[in-house]
Amino acid sequence: MSLLYLPFLAPLFLLGVAALAVRLPGQRPGLLPRLAEWAGIAAVSASLAAIVVLIQMGPGTSALLGGAGIGLSVRLDAVSATMALLVSFVGWVVLRYSATAMDGEARQGAFTGWMAATLAMVLLLVSSGNLVQLWLAWVLTSLSLHQLLLHYPDRATAQRAARKKAVVARASEAALGVALILLAVTYGSSDIATILGRVTADLPTIAAALLVALAAVLASAQLPAHGWLTEVMEAPTPVSALLHAGVINAGGFLLIRFADLMLVAPGVMALLVMLGGLTALFGGLVMLTQPAVKTSLAWSTIAQMGFMVLQCGLALFPLALLHIVAHSLYKAHAFLSAGEAVRNVAKIRKPGPVAVPSARNVVQAFGLAIAIYAATGLMFGFDGKSVQAIALGVILIFGVAYLLAQGLADAAPAALTRYTVIWSAATSVSYFLLQSLAKAVTAGTLPATPAPGPLEWALIVLAGVSFGTVAVAQATFPLWASHPAALGLRVHLTNGFYLNALFDRLLGGWAKPAKS
Amino acid sequence: MFTKHETYPAALLELVSVANDAVRAVPPLFPLTSSVAVNPFLGQTGEPLAVTAARMARVAGTSVTPDRAHFAAKWQAGEITEADLQDALAAVAGRFDPPTLAEVKAALAQPDAAPAVLPTVAELAAEVSGFDWPGLIEDRIGVWAGSHFDEGQALWQPYRAGGAFVAWREFAARDLTPEIHGLAGFGAFVAESPRNPWRALGRAAEALGLTTAAAPTAFHRLLVDLGGWSQYARYLSWQAELEQGTDSTAVELLAIRLMFDEALLVQYGDDIGARWAEVAAAHAQPVTPSRDHVINAVWQEAAERAAQRVLAERLEHASKPAPAPHKARPEVQAAFCIDVRSEVFRRALEAQDAGVETIGFAGFFGLAAAHQAAGSDVVERRGPVLLQPGVSTQASEPAEADLTRRYGARAKRAWGRFKLAAVSSFAFVEATGPVYAGKLLRDALGLGRGGVAYDPAPVVDPSLDLATRAGMAKTVLTAMSLTSGFAKIVMLAGHGASVTNNAHESALNCGACGGHAGDVNARALAGLLNDTEVRYALSARGIDIPADTLFLAALHDTTTDEVTLFTQDQDTANWDNAIARLERALTLAGVAARAERAARLPRAQSAADIARRATDWAELRPEWGLAGCRAFVAAPRGRTEGAALQGQAFLHSYDWRADEGFGVLELILTAPVVVASWISLQYYGSTVAPALFGGGNKLLHNVTGGIGVLEGNGGAPRAGLPWQSVHDGNGFQHDPLRLSVVVEAPRDAMSAVLDKHPQVRALFDNRWLHLIAMDDHGRLAWRYDGKGGWEPMLLDAAQAIAAE
Repeated sequence: MSLLYLPFLAPLFLLGVAALAVRLPGQRPGLLPRLAEWAGIAAVSASLAAIVVLIQMGPGTSALLGGAGIGLSVRLDAVSATMALLVSFVGWVVLRYSATAMDGEARQGAFTGWMAATLAMVLLLVSSGNLVQLWLAWVLTSLSLHQLLLHYPDRATAQRAARKKAVVARASEAALGVALILLAVTYGSSDIATILGRVTADLPTIAAALLVALAAVLASAQLPAHGWLTEVMEAPTPVSALLHAGVINAGGFLLIRFADLMLVAPGVMALLVMLGGLTALFGGLVMLTQPAVKTSLAWSTIAQMGFMVLQCGLALFPLALLHIVAHSLYKAHAFLSAGEAVRNVAKIRKPGPVAVPSARNVVQAFGLAIAIYAATGLMFGFDGKSVQAIALGVILIFGVAYLLAQGLADAAPAALTRYTVIWSAATSVSYFLLQSLAKAVTAGTLPATPAPGPLEWALIVLAGVSFGTVAVAQATFPLWASHPAALGLRVHLTNGFYLNALFDRLLGGWAKPAKS
Repeated sequence: MFTKHETYPAALLELVSVANDAVRAVPPLFPLTSSVAVNPFLGQTGEPLAVTAARMARVAGTSVTPDRAHFAAKWQAGEITEADLQDALAAVAGRFDPPTLAEVKAALAQPDAAPAVLPTVAELAAEVSGFDWPGLIEDRIGVWAGSHFDEGQALWQPYRAGGAFVAWREFAARDLTPEIHGLAGFGAFVAESPRNPWRALGRAAEALGLTTAAAPTAFHRLLVDLGGWSQYARYLSWQAELEQGTDSTAVELLAIRLMFDEALLVQYGDDIGARWAEVAAAHAQPVTPSRDHVINAVWQEAAERAAQRVLAERLEHASKPAPAPHKARPEVQAAFCIDVRSEVFRRALEAQDAGVETIGFAGFFGLAAAHQAAGSDVVERRGPVLLQPGVSTQASEPAEADLTRRYGARAKRAWGRFKLAAVSSFAFVEATGPVYAGKLLRDALGLGRGGVAYDPAPVVDPSLDLATRAGMAKTVLTAMSLTSGFAKIVMLAGHGASVTNNAHESALNCGACGGHAGDVNARALAGLLNDTEVRYALSARGIDIPADTLFLAALHDTTTDEVTLFTQDQDTANWDNAIARLERALTLAGVAARAERAARLPRAQSAADIARRATDWAELRPEWGLAGCRAFVAAPRGRTEGAALQGQAFLHSYDWRADEGFGVLELILTAPVVVASWISLQYYGSTVAPALFGGGNKLLHNVTGGIGVLEGNGGAPRAGLPWQSVHDGNGFQHDPLRLSVVVEAPRDAMSAVLDKHPQVRALFDNRWLHLIAMDDHGRLAWRYDGKGGWEPMLLDAAQAIAAE
């Protein structure tokens, strides 16, 4: 049997646990939680083994287990191998955590089973070699996640959020289904690699690209379909970790998987830049106002997914993949350790007031940040980098300027300045190195970023200006945020500009059966 | 400020006064950074359980006694006897129309009656509209209040000038959500409402037709609806009152909640007006317990008497004659907190080394400290929340070390802000996200969390003169009944819980230290008592501490049962051997205590499994805290030594024969006993009424503002103990019994203390606490009857009475 089937082992182990859970759905289900954890370790091992195979044999697609283009096949390449390792690693952590945290729960067995099943479906999704498997795994992921979101089925808020999520998921599945049919019909194959090798910019292909993009943004909680993600804290903490670190990436994965397809539709890419950029800024601003730790993390995910979609729209697929990996690891940890929020908030208050940077300090900080970026670039080389990648780097360096501004504030002691400058430099270097690594790993698998045309230039400038404006606003924040004039803006931001309330209204989310 | 310049009609002032009283009906919710157990019935201590049951049914729709199945099980198991039941019935006689014994027994077979709650306007509106108005109100108030009370989670803090009501008006006048969902013109309604919360409250009450007779429970109903927010506001007023000030936040929240109902009544008045008028009329009726309430209270009393019988038997077997005054000098006197978790460890320690004598005392060791940790500007109140701090302490280190610590903390804080700010959060993720693979691995395996770095030793405010410090030392030693016979080592062991990723960490810490670990207080006291100047001044005050006595601070980790000795705080060269011996005994005692506790904890097959729980980030039940607490004994240790009290008893060392003027007795009954009642009743409330007084499900906890936990997305913070802290999945780990306080002291002395402190007496009169006097033989001999008198509990005592 071909070694290319190796990635199937990962979901297989987990499905075995899920099958066992059918017999042990209840409280303290014996060895099931530990078995689930071991299945997670086995999945990590299988994913690591697949990487060895990939390094040895190069990328490839297995033969189809099935017929008439319908069945199971594995696409093994840098994208699927990275995603599989990420998902199985986070999966193991979450399963291990659940084994302890869920102890004593009435439906622990069922929970463990659904969690294993969800992970298996995500693993099946990322290793898909053909369209049918891709679509089925896409659908089954959200169906089994639905069971986890309703782990406490009687909670009205859980029902409201799950229902909203279901509507969005069905729309996303329909869009993806139509897109895949269009591709299969147009190219006469269900094999993903085959199709991607042949794509041309004809109408059905562009329509398919648009629908794939639609399916992806719906799955990534992009505006205006983001609301459900901010409300699924109604399920146990490990579900949030799994969702934010494993499942939510499906949309980004889809865009990266179909990178060659997306590239023939620059108009669709432009839409992704705009929607992703808008969501990133919107989510990032709303997050600033959120007082509850998990809610704040959820808004952060919306923003991060927006940024990832923006990267896809700029044809920076390797960076989008890096972003998915980096964000997942961070967010899984952040959710699982959300109980530390009490300690963390207390720590903030201890060392005294925050030094507020003046407008002049902010200007200095931006100047210094750009200097650090330029120095790092000269050290590690700008050449070979696309305009888009450099522009993105500038956006990120705006962020680093915020760190510097805190250290440059007039009231800040020299030691603090030193710390922030060193950490800013380290951040910039790390960022450069990780980018190069992502590019190297995916070279040959993901298409190179094309030279920007007028549309792309316009988008780059737009993104630079808007992110720059927000970054300046953020850095000068204490100078204006407490002003009464900002009060109204804050109220509307806290409420996420009411998009979610309107969504609720449309779906009748707050309906309550009248008493008889 | 507004109150100064305005005059109010008398009717409004009366209504505001009712609102202030209603606020006192809800318990305070302390922030999670320094949370302590709070008696959820703090506002009801002036009435007995049956009346509270009727009240809580009306305002919260919840029962405040265990369900009948709980009593039926105890009855069938023979735990509660017919005699217990008869005694319990006799205790209520005269208070209510008492049920017959047959009725009480028959009630076991009947199902629990659903408590009849009076609906709010919002609930009536929901019934006719099919829209979840109560849910939306909870959500809207939650979104605003979460930001308003945020202690630093959000980077962008709201504008708070003018107090809660003014801030809410600014928010609600702009918030479009209620209107999106069909509460027409709510923004304009708010914008046109009075800026003064009292006037808004008065206007709303008038619109709702609430008379001053109906207002007490109608307001209480809405304060219950506000959940943790009204309780947090009650905490703010609690703190203000401790500092002789006032805080009106809770009344302002009530005004806010009333305005929603006012607006809904305008919108749905045609459909619900008549029904609401009936509800308002029902609120004006006095709160009277139903027959079921009385019967449940009788069963509860019977269950407590049954537990007292068991305690009496255990103590009878253990009790030794009162200690001889001139016993051999012990090697070590080890003072622990009265906390029930100390009981297990003390018993284990005594069993290890006959040279160790243990003492029980409130874990703040008499120093209610306003403490500043190293590199911190925050003043922590490390003392009982009932008291104003009496002394300030500070972790002392050289200025340079302090600055280094602060710069490090500030740099980390700057990094934390970088992580969360708009735009920069993207840079953070892209540059450092992969590092979290390592963190995930570390935390999943529970690695790298060992080795707590303790602050440098705390010092008592140096500006205090010697006389004051010596006076402090004398007060503490006297209260500990430790004024002579000092051992070579007097270990002062505070306690704390070492847990990971636990929002309720402070609830496992020392309640007497304001939800902090007790290390600071123990170290501060040890420092004070080792000071040669203080000792010299003490000897002038009649307390001679031998030069070879060392006071040694320690910290008992209640999660792992390990004890850390703070030998670094002073030169201990002369005591090296004794310390080594003590360390051995402590290590062995830890093993024994862990083995005893492992039997009760899920997933703890052996003592070794316990240490892991402290570092496991997924562990929701690191330890059981004070679950199971049911008794408080103030007597010499000899009375309880050798009795395995299963970690269910607070043990306070007290020798009334050495207590001239009964000042220490007064202190015990008014401070540690009250704190213990808060703890016991918090466990009681979280067990019998988890939906109202429990902290909810830890799996869904979402820390808000660094102060409380939401259960799920939003709403109000949940006060009380989380489900996982009282329940192991199969059953409750806490038997809901109100605390039995056993004191070896003359009855008239105790009666005198109660007469002097009516609030404490109310706790005993209304049976929120039981008071039992221990006789000279260490037996539970007399029961305080709740009416100022004492009843005999022993057969021979009863005969003695009859003979008189």
